[in-house]
Amino acid sequence: MTDLSAIPAAAASKPAIAPAKEPFSRRMMPWLLLAPVFAVMAFAFVAPLLVFLEYSFWRFEYGKLIEDFTFDTYVEFLTDPYFHTIVYDTLKMALITTLCSVAVGYPLAYALWRITRPGLQKWFGLIIFSPILVSVVVRSYGWTVLLADQGPVNWFLQVVLHLPEPVRLVFNLTGVVISLTHVFLPFVVFPIYSTMTRLDPTLREAAMDLGAGWWTTFRRVTFPLTLPGLLAGAQISFTLALGAFVTPQLLGGGRVLVLPLQVFQATTDINWPLAAVGGIALLVLAMITVAVSNRLLRYSEV
Amino acid sequence: MTGRLPHYRYLLLGAFAVAGVIFVISPLAIVVLNSFSSVAYNVFPPEGYSVRWYENLAQQSAFYLAAVRSVLLALSATVVSLVIGTLAAYSIVRYRPRWSDLIKGFLLSPIVLPNIVLGVAVFMFFIRTGLYGTYFSLVVTHVVVVLPLVIAVLTAALANYDWTLQEAAMDLGAGPIRTFLRVTMPQISISMIISGVFAFITSFDQVETTLFLVRPGANTLPIEMFLYLQKWQDPTIAALSTVLIVFAFLIVSVLSLAMRNRGLPLAVLRQDKEKSE
Repeated sequence: MTDLSAIPAAAASKPAIAPAKEPFSRRMMPWLLLAPVFAVMAFAFVAPLLVFLEYSFWRFEYGKLIEDFTFDTYVEFLTDPYFHTIVYDTLKMALITTLCSVAVGYPLAYALWRITRPGLQKWFGLIIFSPILVSVVVRSYGWTVLLADQGPVNWFLQVVLHLPEPVRLVFNLTGVVISLTHVFLPFVVFPIYSTMTRLDPTLREAAMDLGAGWWTTFRRVTFPLTLPGLLAGAQISFTLALGAFVTPQLLGGGRVLVLPLQVFQATTDINWPLAAVGGIALLVLAMITVAVSNRLLRYSEV
Repeated sequence: MTGRLPHYRYLLLGAFAVAGVIFVISPLAIVVLNSFSSVAYNVFPPEGYSVRWYENLAQQSAFYLAAVRSVLLALSATVVSLVIGTLAAYSIVRYRPRWSDLIKGFLLSPIVLPNIVLGVAVFMFFIRTGLYGTYFSLVVTHVVVVLPLVIAVLTAALANYDWTLQEAAMDLGAGPIRTFLRVTMPQISISMIISGVFAFITSFDQVETTLFLVRPGANTLPIEMFLYLQKWQDPTIAALSTVLIVFAFLIVSVLSLAMRNRGLPLAVLRQDKEKSE
C-alpha cells in the first residue's frame, strides 16, 4: 500500500460516476473478488454432490461397489417398507420436534419482548441464546443424564409426585424430541422475537383503545403479525430436525432410526449407493420443506 | 402500558419465563453436578462428591490433543471464510454483478443441505481424489459449512453501510485497499466479529461433516467425545463438558462486556435478518 499504487486506482474508480464504458479491469473486479468463494464452493460443495449423485447409480453387491448406471437402489428405497418406516419416523420426529419448539419458543419470545427492564431482558436473552455456545454433544449428554431412569426428572416424579415406577424418557423418541427442542430453541425464539420487535406498537394500542381485550388483541393483531416469524422458526426447526444426527444417535438408544442415521450406517457399511439415495431423499425432504414454508411465508405476510 | 396488564397474566408469563430458563439451563447444570459425582454411574441425588473424574480427565491426553486440533481447525476455517466471505459479500453488495441474487442464493445454499449429506459427499469425493485424511480436506469442508453464515451477515452489514464514505475516501486519494481497511472495515467490524465468533463455534462443534474426514487417532474434540460416549457413560465426559461450559461462559462474559454499550448483541443480527428478507 503506497501512494504510487493509490493514484491510478483512484483514477480508475472515476468512470464509475460517469455512465461511460468502464475499463475491462473494473468490469472484472466483482468476479475477481468472487473467485476464491466460487473455487471453494466448486471444489468442496458442487463436485462432492455430483460424485454423491453418481454413486447413487452404482451397484453394491457382495460387499463391493460396482460402477454402473442403474436405478435399482432408488427402486429398492422407494418400494421397501423398511425405508418407508425410516422416512415416516424422520418426518414424525421432525414434526413433533417443530411443534414442541414452537410451543416453547413462542411464549419465551413473547416474554423476552414484554420484559421492560433492560437489565433483566439482556440476561434473559443471554440465557436463552447461550446454549448455542455449548456443543450439541455436551447438551445431548446432559439430557441423557437428566432423563435417565435414576436421573433428576424421574427422581422428582417418584419422590415428589409419588409415581410408582420410573418413566422411560430416554433412549426413545421422547428423549430425542426433548433434547432437539432444547438444541433448536434459540433458532426458533430468534426469528419470532425479531418480528415482535418490528411490530408497530400503535397497532396494539389502537386495538386496545377500541375496546379489544388482551386476548382479542393478541388473536387479531399480535399473533397474525408475528406469524411470519413463527413460520420462519418452524422452518428452521423442521429442516434442522430432518438432518439431526448426534442427538438421535446419543438419545435414541438405537430405537430411533432416522434418515441421517441410515445414511451414516450405509456409509460405514460401504454401501455407498444406498447412502447416496438416502442422502438424496433427505435433501429432497429439506428442499420441499423450504419451498412449502416459503410459500406459506408469502401468504402470511400479505 | 404494561401497568394495565392484569396481574395473573403477568404472573403466568413470568412463570413460563422461569420454566424456560430452567429448561435451558438444567441439562448444563446437571452435567456440572454430575462431574463431581463420586460414582461411575448416573444417579440422582448424587451419592457423594469427588474430583476423581477431573483427575481421570487430566490423564487422558487424547482429549488435550483433540482440543488443540479443534481450536486450530476452527481458527483456520474462521480466518479463511472471513477473508473470502468478505471479498464475496463486498463484490455482491458493491458491484451488484449480473445475477447477483442468484450468486447469493448459490453461496447460501449449503444451509439447506443437511450436514450429514455434505459430510458423506465430501468423504466420497476426497476418497476418490486421494485427498482423504489431509488437513486441507478438513479445512475446506469446514469453510463450506461456515461460509453461508459469514456471507449472510456481511452482505446485510454492507447493505446498511453508507457508501458515500467510501467514495469520499477514494476521492481524497486513498487507494481501494486502504479505503477498505481504514474506512469500510471499521464500519462493519461488529458484524465481522459476530460472524467470526459464530463461524468459530460452528466449526468447533462440527460432528456430522468431521466424523467422516478425520483419520483414526486424529479426532477433533466433539468427535472424541461423541465416540467416547458411545462406549462409556462415566462422568469423565461430564468433567470435560464442565470445562467446555466454563469456556463458553467466559466467551459470553467477554462478549457481553464488549457489547455493554451496544445493547443486546442480537440487535446487530436482527438488522441483518430484516435486510435479508
